[in-house]
Amino acid sequence: MNRIASRRGRVLALALAGVSFLSVAAASAGEISVWVWDKAFNGDTMREAGALYTADHPDVTFNVDDTASQDDIRAKLQTQLLAGSTEGLPDIVLIQDDIAQKYLQSFPGAFEPLSDSIDMSLFAQYKVAAATVDGKSYSVPFDSGVTGLFYRSDFLQEAGFTAADLKDITWDRLIEIGKVVKEKTGKPLLDLDLNDTGVIRMMMQSAGEWYFNADGSLHITDNAALKKAIETYAKFYQNDLVKPVSGWAEYTGAFTSGEVAVVPVGVWITATIKANADQSGKWAIAPIPRLDIDGAVNASNQGGSSWFVLSSSDNKEETVDFLKTVWAGNDDFYQDILIKRGAVGSLLSARNGDAFKASDDFFGGAPVWQDFSTWLSQVPSVDYGTFTSEVDAAVQAQMPGIIAGGDIDAALQAINDQAQQQMQ
Amino acid sequence: MTFALVRRGLIYALLSLAAFISIFPFYWMVVGATNTSAEIIKGKSSIGSALITNAMAFFSQVDAVRIFWNSGVIAIVGTILTLAVSSLAGYGFEMFRSRIREKLFGFLLLLLSIPFAAMMVPLFVMFSQAKLVNTFTAAILPTVASIFIIFYFRQATKAFPRELRDAAKIDGLKEWQIFLYVYLPVMRSTYAAATIIVFMANWNNYLWPLVVLQTADNKTITLILSGLTAAYTPDYGLILFGTVLATLPTLIIFFLLQRRFVEGMLGAVK
Repeated sequence: MNRIASRRGRVLALALAGVSFLSVAAASAGEISVWVWDKAFNGDTMREAGALYTADHPDVTFNVDDTASQDDIRAKLQTQLLAGSTEGLPDIVLIQDDIAQKYLQSFPGAFEPLSDSIDMSLFAQYKVAAATVDGKSYSVPFDSGVTGLFYRSDFLQEAGFTAADLKDITWDRLIEIGKVVKEKTGKPLLDLDLNDTGVIRMMMQSAGEWYFNADGSLHITDNAALKKAIETYAKFYQNDLVKPVSGWAEYTGAFTSGEVAVVPVGVWITATIKANADQSGKWAIAPIPRLDIDGAVNASNQGGSSWFVLSSSDNKEETVDFLKTVWAGNDDFYQDILIKRGAVGSLLSARNGDAFKASDDFFGGAPVWQDFSTWLSQVPSVDYGTFTSEVDAAVQAQMPGIIAGGDIDAALQAINDQAQQQMQ
Repeated sequence: MTFALVRRGLIYALLSLAAFISIFPFYWMVVGATNTSAEIIKGKSSIGSALITNAMAFFSQVDAVRIFWNSGVIAIVGTILTLAVSSLAGYGFEMFRSRIREKLFGFLLLLLSIPFAAMMVPLFVMFSQAKLVNTFTAAILPTVASIFIIFYFRQATKAFPRELRDAAKIDGLKEWQIFLYVYLPVMRSTYAAATIIVFMANWNNYLWPLVVLQTADNKTITLILSGLTAAYTPDYGLILFGTVLATLPTLIIFFLLQRRFVEGMLGAVK
């Protein structure tokens, strides 16, 4: 019996020993590690930037990790920064602009200020503003979320509208056009997901407003742009111009399969639309409509992200030099990622390159990139603050009531109250 | 007579509905693995011809051998250790009387109500100080003393005949020998059921491995699947193919231990 027992003991000991194998060592010196969340878009773009730098600096290598989702990256970053442990964090991390202030203000000192070494005036200013705290900018802007009104020119034509009819219009005018399109073609104007506040946010930003005042306090009940945006959003539903969808797959599925006439969205959707080669020539892009209030422009933003350098990086000097050389200095690189990845960067001088001047037959031969870069320079800067996602949740909670015809002032008050509670 | 028939019909209708609700997502997953992303979005629910394409795409994007090895090691070693530690604790709680036993047990059950997310940051600090971040050890250790499994074993031990222990004692067996040679064989159904529960929990574990496993080559299949779904243009065919693969190990373990699982849930002691 003892013999058996000792054998079992040995098995257990082996199992225990098996668990304790240590794994890969931390990033070696001379290796710049980067966290990104989409292999084909920001992953391959960063790999390409790395290859350009390595060609001139053979001692620097890159390790781009694209295996985590954006939510995963946020969870990891937040846990580690809260725990005060920087072990295993990358040198560069990609962060979406509307959450940047939260990280910068919650974890002072965790990120490296870059405005001392890199000239921030080279980039679209609203992107720089999103990552600026106390006069210091902490990011190198990456992709722009400059918006456009993507539309099916064939449907609009059938309803009797030309490109000129969609140029620099208001959202109210778009609703009038939508009614005619619905009547003539039977297609709803657009597809909307009630759990996504993207359209409301882009309307609000086109008027230079956001959820917050300059001092960080809530700007909801007295926010004329937000009120107008919510009213407009409700009108889409009340005029029966919406195909309701739920989730990303349905959202993209509706417009890529020709079920709706227009898509107001960030430029990063281009690749998804162009993936349907059979629709070539049937799409066109107009400037995003503006809100019918003072100061609103036909340019806005949705999403977009930037590169941040962690202060814990062992290779700070190389990392900053890399960002400066490639991301803030190489116009040709931006032509390349535009053609290959459909990535519209935020470096203003890049628009003078050949790729940005080219026209695109998919969009009826229009110089779409030149258009987007024009709009990019007009996007109003807003302060995304630290609680955007909390207010978003409060807005979402009110949307079902609002589209059913609920009182908007009461809804704004409810949004204000819920957000207030969350922010404490 | 007719009443009995109607009743029976109703029961069958209800059971069929329940079966459909449980089986449909599974069916959808398997069928989705054979369709292209565009077909899945359109809602196609019949077998398609894209299985090979999806498989090739999956294996070219994911280092499958490595990832499944990681998941496998964490799940298997984790299961063995959890069963060893938690069944011992359950045995101890039931067999040894003490004045603070119930209070201690109640306190443990109370701990069940703390969400893991609340313990994550302090846990990370601990593992970081122990220089164990980004190791399998870190992924496994926090799950080893599972309060639920301790509770489960204690409940099952209530049905374990004390006479067996007394008899073994008279024969001169020490406590650890009783545990190994009397208790363990008698409780094998309980162990089988616990194996399935623990293996599944470890295999599917998400939040903690996400935070503690940092480099791409240490990640588990759940983390990789989550990363795939988050791309700007997700390839649903590829994702569902990966999901089917990720489901297989749990399925195999379940079918292997199915008979004992049912016995274990019923608390049978033979």
